[in-house]
Amino acid sequence: MVEPAELVSWVAAAADRLGADSYDAVAVRLHEGQARFSNNSLTIINELKTENVAVYLTKGKKRILGVVSSTNKDVVDSLVGRLYASMNSGASEAEFAPLPKGPFSYTIRVPHDRDHDQFDHASYAQRAIDAAVSAGASRVAGSLISQHYRLFLRTSSGVEGSDERTSYSLNIRAFTDRDASGHGIAVSTKGKALDVEGAGRLAGERAAACRSPKQVEPGVYTVLFGRTVFANLVEAVGYSASAYSVESGLSFLPPKPGEQVASQNFSLVDHGQVEGGADSRSFDDEGVPTTSTTLVMGGVLQSLLHNSTTAVRFGTKTTGNAGLIQPHPWNLEVSAGDSTIEEMIRETKHGIYVTNNWYTRFQSYKTGEYSTLPRDYAFLIENGQLSHPVAGFRISDSIPRQLKSIRLIGKDRSWIKWWEVHTPTLAPDVLVDGVTVTRAVS
Amino acid sequence: MPTLDKDMADYAVAEAIRAGADYAEARLQWNMEQNASTKNGEFEPPGYEETFGIGVRVMHRGAMGFGATNILTRDSVKELATNLAKKVISAGPGFRNKIRMSDEDTHIAKWGAAEKRKLEDVELSTLVTTLKEIDSDMVSRHSPDVLKFRLFGLGLSLEEKYFTNSNGSKIESRVPRVGIMGVLTAADSGSVVQRFIQSAGTGGWEVFETAKMKERMRDEADTVVKIAGKAEKFTGGSMDVIVGPEVTGIMTHESVGHPQEADRILGREGAQAGESYLTSSDIGMQVGSPLATVIDDPTIPGTDGYYLYDDEGVPARKRILIKEGRINEFLQNRETADVFGVKSNSAARAAYYNVEPIIRMSNTYVEPGDHSLDEMIKEVKDGVLIKNFMEWNIDDKRYNSRFVGHEAYRIQGGEIKGLVRNPVLELTTPKLWGSVAAKTKDLIFDAATCGKGDPSQGIPVGHGGPYMLLKGVSLSGR
Repeated sequence: MVEPAELVSWVAAAADRLGADSYDAVAVRLHEGQARFSNNSLTIINELKTENVAVYLTKGKKRILGVVSSTNKDVVDSLVGRLYASMNSGASEAEFAPLPKGPFSYTIRVPHDRDHDQFDHASYAQRAIDAAVSAGASRVAGSLISQHYRLFLRTSSGVEGSDERTSYSLNIRAFTDRDASGHGIAVSTKGKALDVEGAGRLAGERAAACRSPKQVEPGVYTVLFGRTVFANLVEAVGYSASAYSVESGLSFLPPKPGEQVASQNFSLVDHGQVEGGADSRSFDDEGVPTTSTTLVMGGVLQSLLHNSTTAVRFGTKTTGNAGLIQPHPWNLEVSAGDSTIEEMIRETKHGIYVTNNWYTRFQSYKTGEYSTLPRDYAFLIENGQLSHPVAGFRISDSIPRQLKSIRLIGKDRSWIKWWEVHTPTLAPDVLVDGVTVTRAVS
Repeated sequence: MPTLDKDMADYAVAEAIRAGADYAEARLQWNMEQNASTKNGEFEPPGYEETFGIGVRVMHRGAMGFGATNILTRDSVKELATNLAKKVISAGPGFRNKIRMSDEDTHIAKWGAAEKRKLEDVELSTLVTTLKEIDSDMVSRHSPDVLKFRLFGLGLSLEEKYFTNSNGSKIESRVPRVGIMGVLTAADSGSVVQRFIQSAGTGGWEVFETAKMKERMRDEADTVVKIAGKAEKFTGGSMDVIVGPEVTGIMTHESVGHPQEADRILGREGAQAGESYLTSSDIGMQVGSPLATVIDDPTIPGTDGYYLYDDEGVPARKRILIKEGRINEFLQNRETADVFGVKSNSAARAAYYNVEPIIRMSNTYVEPGDHSLDEMIKEVKDGVLIKNFMEWNIDDKRYNSRFVGHEAYRIQGGEIKGLVRNPVLELTTPKLWGSVAAKTKDLIFDAATCGKGDPSQGIPVGHGGPYMLLKGVSLSGR
């Protein structure tokens, strides 16, 4: 093993020797563990140990980005040399900002879990399986994955920093028959705090409660989006807020703050560091200290997410969200509302409660027109009461329209991160009016 | 490019066996990716990435583990192999359903995709010049007031592997690929149209010419502008539909290939990509018309899903997934083949050194028919031609699919009429394949990146086929 700081020093020395105007090097040592399971049985144990260094070089109006996957000094030297030569044969860019000048001071507000390397994925997975079965599941599948990384950054602008983080997430799905299933998630930055039993129990209970689902008639419904589904849609809002997305036509948000983009009860913040936020970082890929950025307040767009270069283009300051090319969210938080789930059901005359979804795809990222497929526990709501389980339908709508049609927001929230939600998102349940629901013709 | 230290992989296998494993395999894998990109005519920083490491998979009495590292010292590799074997032995009681591998012949082989102009000889300046030509051509043809956003990436990739296992197989491979992607957004009179384009193939730099990537991008730009300005609202109805090879391809991938992956059928992907509408006893079940023959074939040179041995060392072969409307075989790796009591049909693939091999498609397509497109159009009195698509998805049992047209035309009285906007096909899998009434002679592939697994693995695949006539299906508008 080579210390991340040493890997970075090799890159820095090579960049200086070659004559680069500036450099930025971020080395990451990663230890990842995983237990996967299906049919109540483990299917594989995974163990990953890697060290990589991301390299950014500039010369004149040219830049290049690379990743070097070696802990051999000669190989690192050679690859940095290759990057430099390749950059020189590339194209000049119209405009990019110099790397931010340091030094900066950083605070790690969310300490890592020192017991990570002793975490027993198999036994925690077994506890989740047992909880789901006890709650009524006949079959259980899922994955429990953890990461421990150490990171070291240095730039030619006097910036240097290190960070160390851990995260754990469980994704569990319980089945009672072919069409009846429930889903549970647990996310934590500490292994012992990972509520595997709670997630397993919820999955099992929901699977047991939605046997023999019926078809839904296509039409327009009020939809109660469970927090896992809403997190999936909010993640799309987070990526739409990246200035890169706006420049590329991949955003349904306007380029300038101040416009009403959602109902007045909707507010959204991106946190560089936050308790429970599994992707917390104390600095971004340019070494700028991360912060909390309010994206939407009271339904009004407040800010996009920037790195130094997009900030120059938009006439503003970096928000500490680099990505050297694409700014991106770290951990998203939707503000809590004041409704309970029971109140939201009572407020629904003709609607559907959906608790999970997958395969969200867009007709146009620019307009936000999309469709997605609910899966697992879903119920028809009639006259303020859960009526019967439903399955086999699709939500086909537009995210901008839905954001402006949020009627109620739940007071309870959970951190969501799983196969379909990559950005940790603290999400509530929300009630949205006028949602189009379709069904396949058989 | 590093030298693949075959002794290191053999050493990993030996150490895992020494530590108690009853099966071990190791895969040294080097991937290089180089790309250039532009956004609205301006260059973005190019990228160059190498990932190189070793992945080791071990088994002990029905328990399985996978480990990987890019720290390629003997000490590190020994630690990886022995610790993994110990972990698997320790986790054994949790493997209630014991895993076994099908018996397969051992092979010693070396293979590679044919390449005329080696990618190592292609400078970044070539990618830059090529992208500039593509973008400049587009700007000369269309006003930026209409063609609002243009995003392009042109990439080269190389993959070299050495696979060895405790059964005695030793296989070396080299696969170069060239690919281009584009996102075009046009706006006209309040109408916004967006199009994602991906084209790729295995081979050297000559693939850029043979795949006609430049011409494809130009045509796509012309089309997206035309749709924004001219397409009329489509309200839907019951009618005949002709789908183009791109739509045929995504249909094969989503509603045939995925549900016929044996690991999904057995529930292994249940919490991630989902399961299947099919069960293990559904071989022979009718799910389509007699014209519905769907094949997955990794051995077609030049395609994006090309390979000759899979990542368990099994020789690649053509798989007939649906034969004349009936389920014919599933995609199998060694683990699922043992459960089904068959031989593996070489569907195990891993995207990088640091992920396990899992069941994947390669090049999935509909067997062509005997019509010309003109003949097919003449047969349609009232219908729609959907040449390609944007939005699509399918439920996690692969039964309820949706494909929303991008370039689509009304057909009336056997003649192509005007452009229509976003016709929506939303059909169950048996309804879709049961509606196939005619096919053209064409066999046209598109490239895609298929996501599956946990951690998720994006793997290059091809899919395609002929134009297909679907009789009497229900369409809606968006």
